[in-house]
Amino acid sequence: MPINEIAGCIGCETCVKACPTDVIQMDLNQGKAYIAYPEDCQICHLCRLYCPVDAISITPEKSIPVVVSWR
Amino acid sequence: MAVSKENQAKPSTSDNKDAINVSRRTFLGAGAAAVSVTAIAAGAQASSSMGAPTVVNLPSVKDDEFTSDIIETDVLVIGSGIAGLFAAIKAHDAGAKVIMVSKGRLGSSGMTPFGKGVFSYDKKNTKMSEDDYLKKVATSAIGTNNPVFTKLLLEHSYDRVQELKSWGFFDSPLCFDSFSKPMNERKIPIFERIMMTHLHKEQGRVVGASGFSVAENKIVHFSAKSVILCTGAGAFKPNGFPMCDLTHDGSIMAYNIGAKITGKEWADGHPASAANSGSSYDNWHGQVEQKPSIEGAEIRHDLGVDLNYSAYMNGGPVSMGPGSPSEKEAVVVGGPWVPEEFKRVGGPPSGDNGGDRPSGPPPGMGQTSGLHAIWAKLTGQKQSAPQGPPGMMGESVGGSTAGMSIHKSEGLVPIDANGLSTIPGLWASGDALGSHQTGGIYTQIGSSMAGSAVQGALAGEAAAKASKLVELLPIPMDTLAQTKTDILAPLKRTKGYKPAWVTQVLQSVMIPNFVLYVKKERMMDAALAYVEELRDHHVPMLVASDRHHLRLAHETANMVISAEMKMKASMMRKESRCSHYRLDYPDVDYENWNAWITIHQSDDGEMILEKQYWDKWPKFS
Ligand SMILES: Cc1cc2nc3c(=O)[nH]c(=O)nc-3n(C[C@H](O)[C@H](O)[C@H](O)COP(=O)(O)OP(=O)(O)OC[C@H]3O[C@@H](n4cnc5c(N)ncnc54)[C@H](O)[C@@H]3O)c2cc1C
Ligand code: SF4
Ligand code: SF4
Repeated sequence: MPINEIAGCIGCETCVKACPTDVIQMDLNQGKAYIAYPEDCQICHLCRLYCPVDAISITPEKSIPVVVSWR
Repeated sequence: MAVSKENQAKPSTSDNKDAINVSRRTFLGAGAAAVSVTAIAAGAQASSSMGAPTVVNLPSVKDDEFTSDIIETDVLVIGSGIAGLFAAIKAHDAGAKVIMVSKGRLGSSGMTPFGKGVFSYDKKNTKMSEDDYLKKVATSAIGTNNPVFTKLLLEHSYDRVQELKSWGFFDSPLCFDSFSKPMNERKIPIFERIMMTHLHKEQGRVVGASGFSVAENKIVHFSAKSVILCTGAGAFKPNGFPMCDLTHDGSIMAYNIGAKITGKEWADGHPASAANSGSSYDNWHGQVEQKPSIEGAEIRHDLGVDLNYSAYMNGGPVSMGPGSPSEKEAVVVGGPWVPEEFKRVGGPPSGDNGGDRPSGPPPGMGQTSGLHAIWAKLTGQKQSAPQGPPGMMGESVGGSTAGMSIHKSEGLVPIDANGLSTIPGLWASGDALGSHQTGGIYTQIGSSMAGSAVQGALAGEAAAKASKLVELLPIPMDTLAQTKTDILAPLKRTKGYKPAWVTQVLQSVMIPNFVLYVKKERMMDAALAYVEELRDHHVPMLVASDRHHLRLAHETANMVISAEMKMKASMMRKESRCSHYRLDYPDVDYENWNAWITIHQSDDGEMILEKQYWDKWPKFS
């Protein structure tokens, strides 16, 4: 998984805005952020760095195939 | 990391009420699944006579739920990176009413959050004269740079860096707060999370732009006297480089109304590590967590396409680390030509250190990441010890920036030094402007960030001045209605292709090193056939199930056009120079190719490619 888990979220919505690729959304019922589109996560860590309570964890693997120019 | 809660002037797009209600989504999702099953069952029955069944697209948001806003301003700045920041504040300071709109957030979208070295040409403390600097850049760039823009970098970078300093830009790894400071002081409204898709032209000039919100069901039309595109560059949503939100949207919007685009044949050749190639963070050693620093004058010839060549000849992965077994094998004969002066073996490039750190890459970045690693390898320099998580050390694979040219050398064709485009009323700056500031190659660390700042400021001032001379022209109602229909079309389609799949096909066709980096006619022709198929058949049938996928649909469409441009320009340039390397034309052709390529759309929709000789500025289209 790329962006992997959100735990201890206080619902400030910062990460939703800070994610360049629109991966995170707000769950209105829970008042918390959730990972909506992990396949589009570019593993840049901006959401984690902007989160005021360090609620976001990220792992380095993509969840979709990675196309490279040689291997 | 704690950040202060922002209180910037902002539109209503980020209230909680606009976020998706999960239970509703889940319900609709389940409903959609149930209907799909029914559709499949029905299809299965019919399949004996009617062929394979198709699943119907049932979006969770309906196209008829979208409302439209029309917002008026003097100057519209599209993009909220460093170019957009300077465009907005300088246009405001020159007396214009300014609005900024961005697909993402101020300072947290595009490439700006990741650019850490910022070039500052400090005239008082530099050892390299302007003349020497310009001569050397032209040598490294084999003439492909536009000296007018290279000179502007020398003239203005110091002042822009001082302004950045005063806002606290160099004091934090994250730039939202420092960017918000001058924006808040001027009360410039920012509309965030709006993907712009259309520019409007009336009576021969640009009169506004439209897009849609990814946060709520809203179409937003901006009526403006001047528009500045600060939309950054773009690529094919590649892996290991944080630019998957950029798909050349500005260039394609402008191309669609007749503007000229340039620089598509150049290729940024950043590699990624073989392990976790898709992690931007790891590939850059967590550089995003470092504070920015200032870079002094130091001219280089940073390729990257050479790694693709060596992997092509020897097989990959290529060794990037010191002393690894495959290091020797990676040295190959032939490949991209490097000017004599830049074929250094050992030692840093000549130049001074007008910046605030010792020569070489920014602190912590080491020579182990990005082009610095390539450069270190080329010059045989000792690489510093690996830092942070596994990144550029060890085995590397290519294509982490696939689909991007060279910063500042692809985008709208300027007709003057302020970044005015070939369409009156439309400016571009930064990575969205094909200024060819350093040509088809990287010649100076930090010049991309500094160049965006310098160009943004100039475009902002020019657009503000120009907006005083014209009236606001309304965008006709039928244009607005048609735009809305076009934007929402993928939500409305019941059947078609998912953007993620079309993107994946495009990546598979374009990213291999024998297509994008080590070029030859027949392969490019073959790739172009795929791209044209996607353009003609699949893009018109893209479907979206929600706003997120609507965004992906428009991004995918833009990437396909950009791929077409890249292949056509690369086929036209029958020579090799800087980051454009052709196996079938490996030499520099000084006789025929001291020129850039411009691309525009003819009235009947055809893609036209033309040569623009270096000593000529184009005129209005
Ligand atoms: C990992 C990395 C390291 C780098 N290191 C350096 C370095 O050390 N030094 C250096 O000088 N440069 C570096 N660069 C390059 C530098 O970051 C860029 O050249 C520079 O940030 C470009 O700034 P910009 O404002 O022109 O565009 P960007 O910062 O890319 O901003 C583009 C803006 O346009 C918006 N946008 C795009 N499309 C749309 C649309 N359709 N609708 C609305 N808004 C839209 C985006 O949301 C974004 O706000 C690096 C880049 C990366 C990715
Ligand atoms: S790591 Fe980057 S792309 Fe992934 S969710 Fe966080 S901000 Fe978005
Ligand atoms: S930034 Fe952190 S606290 Fe705020 S919504 Fe996101 S996860 Fe929750």
